Amino acid sequence: MSRLVCSLFVVILAAWWSMPASLLAADTVCIQCHGGLEGRLGEPVAQWQTSVHAENGISCHDCHGGDPADSAMAMSPERGFIGVPDYVDVPDFCGRCHVGVAEEYKAGAHGQAIENGGAQCVVCHGNHAIEKATLELINEEDCSQCHTYERAALIRMSLVETDKVITTVEHDLERLYRLGFAVDDMQGELFNQRNRFHRIFHGVDVERVRRETADVEGELGKIVKQVVSMDSTLSQRKLWGSVVIGLFVLAGVVFLLLRKAYEEEEKS
Amino acid sequence: MQPIKWLVEFVEVRLGVKELYNRELKGYLLPRNVNAWYTLGAVLLALFTLQTLTGILLLMFYVPDAAKAFASVQYIVNEVPFGWLFRMLHAIGANVIVIALLLHMLSVLFMASYKGRREFTWLSGFIIFNLTMGICLTGYLLPWSQLSFWATTVATDAAGAIPIVGDYLVEFLRGGPTVGNQTLGRFFALHVVGMPLVLLALIGAHLFCVKRRGISPPPFGPEYHATEAKPFFEHEKHPGGVPFFPNYFVKDAAIICFFIAFLLAIIFYAPGLFFPDSAFQPADPFLTPPHIKPEWYFLWAYQALKIFPSEIIGLGVQGAFMTFLALLPFIDRGPERRPAKRPLFVTCYVLGILLIVAISIWGHYS
Repeated sequence: MSRLVCSLFVVILAAWWSMPASLLAADTVCIQCHGGLEGRLGEPVAQWQTSVHAENGISCHDCHGGDPADSAMAMSPERGFIGVPDYVDVPDFCGRCHVGVAEEYKAGAHGQAIENGGAQCVVCHGNHAIEKATLELINEEDCSQCHTYERAALIRMSLVETDKVITTVEHDLERLYRLGFAVDDMQGELFNQRNRFHRIFHGVDVERVRRETADVEGELGKIVKQVVSMDSTLSQRKLWGSVVIGLFVLAGVVFLLLRKAYEEEEKS
Repeated sequence: MQPIKWLVEFVEVRLGVKELYNRELKGYLLPRNVNAWYTLGAVLLALFTLQTLTGILLLMFYVPDAAKAFASVQYIVNEVPFGWLFRMLHAIGANVIVIALLLHMLSVLFMASYKGRREFTWLSGFIIFNLTMGICLTGYLLPWSQLSFWATTVATDAAGAIPIVGDYLVEFLRGGPTVGNQTLGRFFALHVVGMPLVLLALIGAHLFCVKRRGISPPPFGPEYHATEAKPFFEHEKHPGGVPFFPNYFVKDAAIICFFIAFLLAIIFYAPGLFFPDSAFQPADPFLTPPHIKPEWYFLWAYQALKIFPSEIIGLGVQGAFMTFLALLPFIDRGPERRPAKRPLFVTCYVLGILLIVAISIWGHYS
């Protein structure tokens, strides 16, 4: 009997130990229930846990509706449950949050062709395992499944530099923020420009992408200028700081030499 | 007569400054084998002065209101000329003070300088150490960042483990059931007025004890002799010793310069050393940041609370340890001060330091 209790305890402990931390932390009934299911109904939980949505606290009910605190009513339409949208409804489904991108997409070639199987959001971005959008999403392997890659390649080429600038400025602002600089306004502006930039290429119009990317680069240039000015201030501070540190060390050495002289005097 | 000479003569006739200088500075003799560890008192005085000066400058712009505190610190750092420097000197200076205090206490313990009827000197120093921790804790809340808010929440929560009065004590410390504007108000008052006034009085008392009883010589070299303390008051003199001013003062000045250089080196080359990400986010009572930890010097206490099965046992062990340290001169009464002749004490000393460092590292990574 005691062996049975012991084995049970070990099994429970092992199961508990092998659970991913995010699963232990999950508190919605959707994750509690679907996390224990296998196959089609359970997979989305594991996929979602690796997503940019999970990273930012966007959970199942934020997209699919329903009541995340009541297991009986979790999937009730009365509590706003939507479930899985039809293929053609996906842009509107995602567009509730990504408003600008959805607008741009609908006006573009992909959006116009949706009734005939044109690509919608999840075709490129995936559904539950959505990663942070990068230019890697525009690639020959994926795009050429539906059409030739030339146009997509042109769009990607004109976006590469701007994307690099955005990433660099993002890191620079984070670094300056950690040094106590007030960069909230600059971060806000970068957020706006990044959103504008992400929205542009969903229209898949090469000329427009080029034109508007140039505008975005102009705006980013203003932020870069401020970053350069702050970095220059930091360099100056470091330079003067080094001089002052050197002076204090020098003064310390001079005082020690004086002490040496006094010691000689004390001995004599 | 030249104006400066006239001024010196004018003051001399009225206050007898030369006699005071000859008696209290030049005539104040220190043991001949006095070492660099004896400069730490002067280093601490210089650092406390720096904290006071930078604190006064910060006070001119800081607003002790939960809705404005964070923005006012942002303003100081970004808009006020050299505000960033004063803020960094004050915040990082507090950490350097704790380092200097620990070194001072550890050197006093190692050399058993608390012996020879110096219980008052040790006790006043020990209270100064604890009060400085209190000033650090109250100052920690003032920037009203996520780190300030949650570290204070965790720190004040610990008092709740005390039986019967715990909950009342937590409410008393916070000025309400949770950390809020009322907590900021009382911590601000304690940080800028209450505690510094008590600290000033205690530093005066500590210096008085040191001066009145006389400097305890280092227990090293042929000059050292273990002597029983006399049953009456005696000022320990050091005839033929080193004059405090200017002979030893220059060594004080040298070590002060090195400490300030060290402080500036952190400010200019590793400014983020004592500031985690949460120190740059405004306090949000509805968003608990992950891995909130107290300052490095409270980590051992923080982890000790978690090691024991209940917080009250953890608090009890910490209290017993601190009480033992406070009463050490009353417990360790033998005349011997040489570390080599006190193997039990030195073993406990080294193991104690290693234990506290290990628990702190554990606390940091837990």
